[in-house]
Amino acid sequence: MNTRRHYSLTLRLALIFALLAFALLATLGVALYRELERELIMRDDAALIYRIDQLRNLLNDSNTLDLIKTKPELFQNMLGNRESVLSIAAPGQKPLLTVNPGNIDLPSIPPVPKNHELTLADVHHFPSINGVPFATVAASIDSGDLGSLQVTTGRLMTERTSVLASYRLSVYILASIAALILALVGYLLVHRGLLPLRRLARHAQGIGVGNLAERLDSHGAPKELLPMIDSFNTMLERLAKGFVQLGQVSTDMAHELRTPINNLLGETQVALQQHRSIESYQQLLASNVEELERLARMLDNMLFLARTDPASALRQRQELSAWDEVERIAEYFEGLAGDADISIHAEGEGVIWAEPMLLRRALANLCANAIKYGAPRTELEIRAVPSADGIHLRVSNQGETIAAEHLPRLFERFYRVDESRERSAQSNGLGLSIVATIMQLHNGRYSVSSEAGVTCFELFFPRRED
Amino acid sequence: MNILVVEDEPKAGNYLLNGLQELGYSVSLARDGVDGLHQALETAFDVIVLDVMMPKMDGWEVLRRLRKEADTPVLFLTARDDIADRIKGLELGADDYLIKPFSFAELVARLRTLTRRGPSREEEQLQIADLQIDVLKRRVTRAGTRITLTNKEFALLHLFATHQDQVLSRSLIASRVWDMNFDSDTNVVDVAVRRLRLKIDDPFQLKLIHSVRGIGYRFDTQP
Repeated sequence: MNTRRHYSLTLRLALIFALLAFALLATLGVALYRELERELIMRDDAALIYRIDQLRNLLNDSNTLDLIKTKPELFQNMLGNRESVLSIAAPGQKPLLTVNPGNIDLPSIPPVPKNHELTLADVHHFPSINGVPFATVAASIDSGDLGSLQVTTGRLMTERTSVLASYRLSVYILASIAALILALVGYLLVHRGLLPLRRLARHAQGIGVGNLAERLDSHGAPKELLPMIDSFNTMLERLAKGFVQLGQVSTDMAHELRTPINNLLGETQVALQQHRSIESYQQLLASNVEELERLARMLDNMLFLARTDPASALRQRQELSAWDEVERIAEYFEGLAGDADISIHAEGEGVIWAEPMLLRRALANLCANAIKYGAPRTELEIRAVPSADGIHLRVSNQGETIAAEHLPRLFERFYRVDESRERSAQSNGLGLSIVATIMQLHNGRYSVSSEAGVTCFELFFPRRED
Repeated sequence: MNILVVEDEPKAGNYLLNGLQELGYSVSLARDGVDGLHQALETAFDVIVLDVMMPKMDGWEVLRRLRKEADTPVLFLTARDDIADRIKGLELGADDYLIKPFSFAELVARLRTLTRRGPSREEEQLQIADLQIDVLKRRVTRAGTRITLTNKEFALLHLFATHQDQVLSRSLIASRVWDMNFDSDTNVVDVAVRRLRLKIDDPFQLKLIHSVRGIGYRFDTQP
């Protein structure tokens, strides 16, 4: 077995779990991250606008303007941190106030006119000023005596950037940890889930020739395994049946051998008990020959039945004239049938695609049976009927109806309808099983029916395939 | 006829030797393959009976080496009813084979066939005692009386008449007359012979068909 090509289902499922968990959590993390980022930007922008609004109010007051001129440091402190930028200037003049602790190059943006309400849309975003995102808004302010002033304020988003970065990191770490945990849990769960399978394997391993009657226990097995258990049990059923049959055949064969061997042994021992005439010795030897021929035939039949390779058995397969074959069989049995006061009627047309010796053997076995069980003054019919996909050969006789329960078993080795009546030197109970084997070799079919005193055996040979 | 039997099994070797000698053949027996091959190459035999399963050198090897030097007809004996085995033998150059167990009469008939040189001319008229057979017209008369036979009865009689004095086994008869080349469980041959006797022997004083118990039938003017 090539173990390299077998993968572990458990490992594979665990990996899939991990991958899925990571992907799901990471996607969720990214979605939340975007939401958070949007929220933070909006909050920052709102703060900028709030600042401008405040300045608009403040700068209406001339005292405030004086204060800006005289004590600008107050305003610098007012902003409170190094990230904020503020510039107040009359158009075209030096700024009245510049608070720019980070010394940022302020991009110039168009100011919002005086009478306009500031909205979030008025905030301009620059993705990177010295590597940090920057938001800014500018507005014109009416400051009474100083006329129109332009106020620009902005904020570097250093803090926001670092908050978001650590959030991103957390998301990845958490997703990875979750993936690992899920992989582990998944592995354990699948491993546990497959326990019934391993239990079945152990059980199956324990089933051997000695306990073929045992079946796999479906109790407590998951629903998904039931079809497998069922088909495995059906297979066991068939195996057990075949095994019993095989054993039966060996037993039957041994019993069949017993009679001729017993005759040989007994007759010969009795003959050797005292001196006898030449004639009686000759008689003994001839009788021995008969028994030995019977043994040889049985052997031949058993070996024939054991032959299962169609390729070599059908080497001589050819298209045979159906009429020739039924005629030949009819002639072969004409004497035997005449003795039994049975007449043979043979007719047929078409071709039979078969190995000639096997075909003749099958037909001969059927006819021998038909004559043996046919009633006197009746007809034995041998008929070949071609059909679209092959040819049907029917051998039917008139006699006792065979009870339905025997019909399916007739083709079994050594099966006899009536144990006591049929055991004879001429019959070894293998004839019909040989017919069955021949039909199987030819990929054909065989069947038997028995109704109202007419027993009909039918063979079907498929036609030649191109 | 000069026959070499190569057979390692003592009982089998002995009965083949005795049986063939009793039929008037000159027979040599080799008890193993090496001796068999040696004899086969030394002496010119008409036919060789060769067992396949032998120690030292098996039948296949004997046949292979023999065929390099001589084309003496070889009939091999095998205990294996294996088609591949038979084909192997025939491919190696054997002329015929028999599967153990075989009937002695069968062996003799096969040996006769193997040694018959060239196809024998089919006789048109056969005369055995007062029995006359016209093969072409398929007409049979005995002591001037016309006897009507069925096709197969005629074929059977013809087989007997062309194999006078020989014991013909049932399987050989079934094979020649009906082309049924297998041992049948039926006594078809006995029935056919009995029916033939009814017509050509029973009404007459001199019996021509004789049963040879345990072997088959013999067609002979001598009882």
